Order: sequence, then structure tokens, then C-alpha cells
Amino acid sequence: MKLAILFTILPLALVAVIFQVMPLLTRRGIFFSATVDPEFPQSSDGRRLLRSYRLQAALWTVLAFALAALSATTRPAFGASLPVLILVAGIGFSYWLKFREVHERYGLRRPEVRETSLSPAEEKQSINLWLVIPPFVAIAAVAFYLNAHWSQIPDQFPVHWGVNGQPNRWASRDLAGVYGTLLMGTVMNLLCLGFAWALLRMSRKSMMRYVTVRMLEVLLYPLTFSFVVVSLLPLMRIPLWLAPSVMLAFIAGIFFWSYRKITAPSAPDEVPEPQNDSYWKAGVFYYNPNDPAIFVSKRVGIGYTMNFANKMSWVVLVGILLIALLPVLLVRK
Amino acid sequence: MSSGLTLRIDLDSDVPAYRQIVDGLRILLVNGKLAPGSELPSVRRIAVDLGVHFNTVAEAYRTLAEEGWLELRHGRGATVVKRDAPAASAEKVTEFRHRLRALVAEMQSQGASAAKLSVELRTAANELDL
Repeated sequence: MKLAILFTILPLALVAVIFQVMPLLTRRGIFFSATVDPEFPQSSDGRRLLRSYRLQAALWTVLAFALAALSATTRPAFGASLPVLILVAGIGFSYWLKFREVHERYGLRRPEVRETSLSPAEEKQSINLWLVIPPFVAIAAVAFYLNAHWSQIPDQFPVHWGVNGQPNRWASRDLAGVYGTLLMGTVMNLLCLGFAWALLRMSRKSMMRYVTVRMLEVLLYPLTFSFVVVSLLPLMRIPLWLAPSVMLAFIAGIFFWSYRKITAPSAPDEVPEPQNDSYWKAGVFYYNPNDPAIFVSKRVGIGYTMNFANKMSWVVLVGILLIALLPVLLVRK
Repeated sequence: MSSGLTLRIDLDSDVPAYRQIVDGLRILLVNGKLAPGSELPSVRRIAVDLGVHFNTVAEAYRTLAEEGWLELRHGRGATVVKRDAPAASAEKVTEFRHRLRALVAEMQSQGASAAKLSVELRTAANELDL
């Protein structure tokens, strides 16, 4: 029960903190996703807007926590999902109002001058095979190990655990049961690599792209570790906390490295993305029918968003969703 | 050979992106910064970097290929080829004269003097190493 409460409070607190710092996770000259004078956020109007947004975000957070407390006693099955949804929608609405105000009252129109290098060598960026092959080798090695110790695998074994640490899904000693987890790991790894490959082909060269591709390559390691640990559990005594701990430590490390890389003084001060605010719907959704790029670096935070005016973006989005759902469908079967 | 060279366009300009790409590349071809044998990036990469449609870049490459500057490689980029300067026909010279007169008239209407125009023309010719 205590764990269940923790799993309700943690996501809410995490989302609330992210929304409080979100306006600051942006590059110079962008404020609430709108193009402004680089000094504007420090002006009295800039500080007033930030204070007002944070107050609204805090009020939505209080409301979400009250709802979480209420649902914990009346509808415990809801968990944190409904309060988180209300929190995201509420603060998202406040953010949109601020974007509109900043864009309309203080926004700047920067010249849309674009530049490209004429060196074809820059096209030769690719996925670092030496970095991404070891996780697949590890998965193959574990598959061989499971095959070699087939007779020692119990007839039934757990493959999924609830927040209380108790198993809530079991598998049998057959091909799907024994190798299913490794297959899921392979699919997840391929999904990361597919995204990195698409990013290299369908986005503009920048430090953000370099960092994101490296993040995706390195993400294969904690992913593989988690799936390998779960698939070895029928044969080995491995503490359950190990996989999520390694995953969290890795992700924290990756984000710390990315943040340092992007904000390093030596990082090029480049803005390869279109400048016009009108391409950013509600400040967060990029919509530019003239731009063939599918992925564009976000105005807030680290990573990429999609050009929703490009039909290929929707194809990629549906493809990613289908691949992500594949493991779930396999397990349900 | 083309390392360090960049192509820049202004999407807010009245001049279409296709014309800016052709003009920008032609300047580099005429002044020899893009020498025969140089390879140009793929249509896809130029289009994504500049934020213009693939067809806009493909059309610009085709125009320069028709002028004899480039050899197109299917699905890849283009290679600069050695080109013998053609003798301008009388029609072409007349066409250029009309365009030049229109440009000079536009510059004068914006306040540029004849002396200034002369200097600008000589500077442009020198930059292109004519």
C-alpha cells in the first residue's frame, strides 16, 4: 500500500517539478517557446510572466494532488494516471496562454536566413556500429545460454512484477516464454536505432542531433541489461531492484552528459531550425508544410519533435507506435 | 574540394528559393571555388538544411546541369564537370542587356548613383575573377 502511494505521488511530483523548470530549459532568445530579445526573460515583464505561470502551475499541482488523495480512497484503481493527465492538461493550457501573450506582445521576427555546407563529407555521419553491436551480441549470448540450460528452466516462471514487488504475470517454458523477453529487448533496441537512423537522415545537423543520436545509441545498454536480467531470472537469483536501478542511473548519466554537451561554452551557437514562431502551434507543435525535415529540435527541453505538416511524420509516428506496441501484443498473446 | 563552402538563402526574400540556390551555386562555379571534380551534397541534404522542398533543389541542380556545370548522380548529389565557356549568342547578349538595364534602373530608383553602379559592377566582376 505504501509503495502504491509512492507510485502515485512520484509521477505527480516529477511532472510538477518538470513544469516548474520547463520555461528555463530553452536556448537564448526563446521564452515560452516564442522568439524574443535574449534579454527579455530578465526584464520586469519577463519575470512577471514567469512568476504568473509558476503560480498557475502550482495551483494545478495542488488540484492534482487533491484529486490523487481523493481517488486513493474512492477509486484506487485510477492511481496517478487521471491526476497526472489533469496536471499536464492544466499546466499545458497555462503554458499556451503565456506563449500567446509573449508572442503577441513581445515577440520578435528574426530573418529566415538558412545556410548549408557544400561538403558532402558531412553526409557521412552514421550510427556508431562499435557502440551498438555489443548489446545485440549480449542478447544472442544470453539466448545461447538459455538454450544450453533449457532443462533447468522451471515449467512456470514470473516475467512481470507489480509495484509491491510481487509477480503478476507468468510465462511457461516454451519458445515464446523463454525467448520472448529477449525478443522484446531486440525490438526495443531496433526501435532506438531506427529512430537514430531516421534522425540522421531527416533532420538538420546540429549539436542537439549529435547528442540525441549518441543518447539513443547508449540507451541500448540499460535496455539490454534490463531485458537480459529478466530473461535470466528463471536460472539465476538476481535482485529485482537491479534492472530499474541500472536503468535510472544510466538515464540520469545520459541526460547529465547531454545537458553538459549542449550547454558547454565550446558548443556552437547554432540555430539550424526555422525561426518563425508561426511554425510553432501553441509553442510546442511544429507545423511547416515547406520544410522537408521530419524531425526538428524542440524549443523547450532536450530532444526532437516532429514536423506535423509532413505526411511522412505521421507514417513514422504510427510506425513507432506499432513497434512499441508489438511487445505488449506479444505478451498478451 | 568543396569543403568549407556554404550556400546561404533568405526565405523572406522576394527572390524565389530556386533562383537563390542557382545563383549562389553559379557564383561559386564561375569563380572556381567549386572546381571540376568537386562533389555537391545530395538534394535531400541541401533541401533539409535549407528548409525548402526537394523539388526546389532538384530543379536548381537540373538547371545548372543544363548549363553544363554539373553532372547529376541519380539518388545522390552532383559532380562539378569541366565546362567550356560557350560563346554567348546575340539573343543571349540582348537578354542580358535587358536584365542589366532593368537592374540598373531599379538601383538608380533606390538612389544608387551611376558612379556607385560602376564600382559595384567592377567589384562583382573582380570577385568572380573574370
